Amino acid sequence: MPDRDTHDLATLWFLSARTMAIAGEDMPSVQEAATGLYAQAIIGLSEDECRIAKDAEHISNKTLIDCLSGVRRLPRDLAEKILTGVMMISYSDRSMKPLEVRWASMLASAIEVSPDDFQRCCVNARIIASMLRPSEQAQ
Amino acid sequence: MSKQETNFEFLGRFDKRVAQLAKQAEEYVHTDPDSCMFKLRLMVETMAKKLTNLQMRGDISQDLGAMLGALERAGVVSRRQADGMHAIRRDGNAAVHGSPTPVPTAMRRLKDAYRISGWFCKRIKKGAKVQLDSFVPPEPPTPLNKETEALHGKIDALEESIEQRRLETRESLLMFGPQENVDEVTRRITEELKALDNVAAAAGEPMIDADFVALVMAMDLEQIEEDPRHGGDSRQARREAEQQLESIKNHLAEREEAFMAERTYLLEQREPT
Repeated sequence: MPDRDTHDLATLWFLSARTMAIAGEDMPSVQEAATGLYAQAIIGLSEDECRIAKDAEHISNKTLIDCLSGVRRLPRDLAEKILTGVMMISYSDRSMKPLEVRWASMLASAIEVSPDDFQRCCVNARIIASMLRPSEQAQ
Repeated sequence: MSKQETNFEFLGRFDKRVAQLAKQAEEYVHTDPDSCMFKLRLMVETMAKKLTNLQMRGDISQDLGAMLGALERAGVVSRRQADGMHAIRRDGNAAVHGSPTPVPTAMRRLKDAYRISGWFCKRIKKGAKVQLDSFVPPEPPTPLNKETEALHGKIDALEESIEQRRLETRESLLMFGPQENVDEVTRRITEELKALDNVAAAAGEPMIDADFVALVMAMDLEQIEEDPRHGGDSRQARREAEQQLESIKNHLAEREEAFMAERTYLLEQREPT
């Protein structure tokens, strides 16, 4: 069974990711599937952890402040993976709205990434977004 | 249901070809379930082509999986209908590639096809009045013996469990849980985000370098990978992500193979030794 730490990590990921998707106003289905694939392939969460994280008891009582505070407490590599994944979500529709910039900025501040580290996360996000974006031929 | 009756009578008014395929699938369900799956797969492919021609622009791949994906992303096909169509595509492909189809599996897909047909008629003809009655499973040509009935019961239970496991996989990948009210969550997060934005702006909270973010968005991947500052890191990130993604895809493919193996194993139980 997943332990509490991985529940928290999965919840932090889904809350961060959906906040970025909502900030982008339009939520194409590509972002939906990419969210879970990123969680399992890159962050290393299991299917069960991903499902349980979205149960009301885990996610519905968390605010964005809780999310920022939780991300701040994560080990650096995991926090950067969350930031990279969130940037991947914002890149998936090839545009960035002001609230998306704000959410990325708040996460970056919470993690205290340097400008160089942030740039690295952006570049990696762009690479991964291109891999997870389904083309007409894929499926 | 007698031999002359069909669940798909209504379909002929909307699309004769689709109706013919549905009726043929219905006829084969007991006597030749593999052929039933071929017909159902072709029926779904015909529906998907018609929907892409009628409701989508641009070049869409003629591959059924890609067509269904494009229709779902464009909002033409809802998730529920897409799930049913993908199930028919998957089992149809398995039958084409030599994996035997049990009668209960073909019957499930026939029932899915019935539900999808009602939706399809409304989709291709606005204002169409289609009132679907309950699906009536076609009767076998000769009554089943107890042994076959028991085997069908086992296969049906296995199908149910496979569908449940596929549903769990799908739920794990999506951004919201099945019980969540997406509109309500969206409203709440938007309010919180706007409030935080106001506070951050008033406090002079530093913003990320939006110009750099936009630059990366605009660059070709080749340009990024050749960039002297980020090239090495980005190539490494790509390799790692590709490996990790591949392992997830392999895991999902292996599980689908295991489902097929379980089904085939059960079918083989009735073969004489």
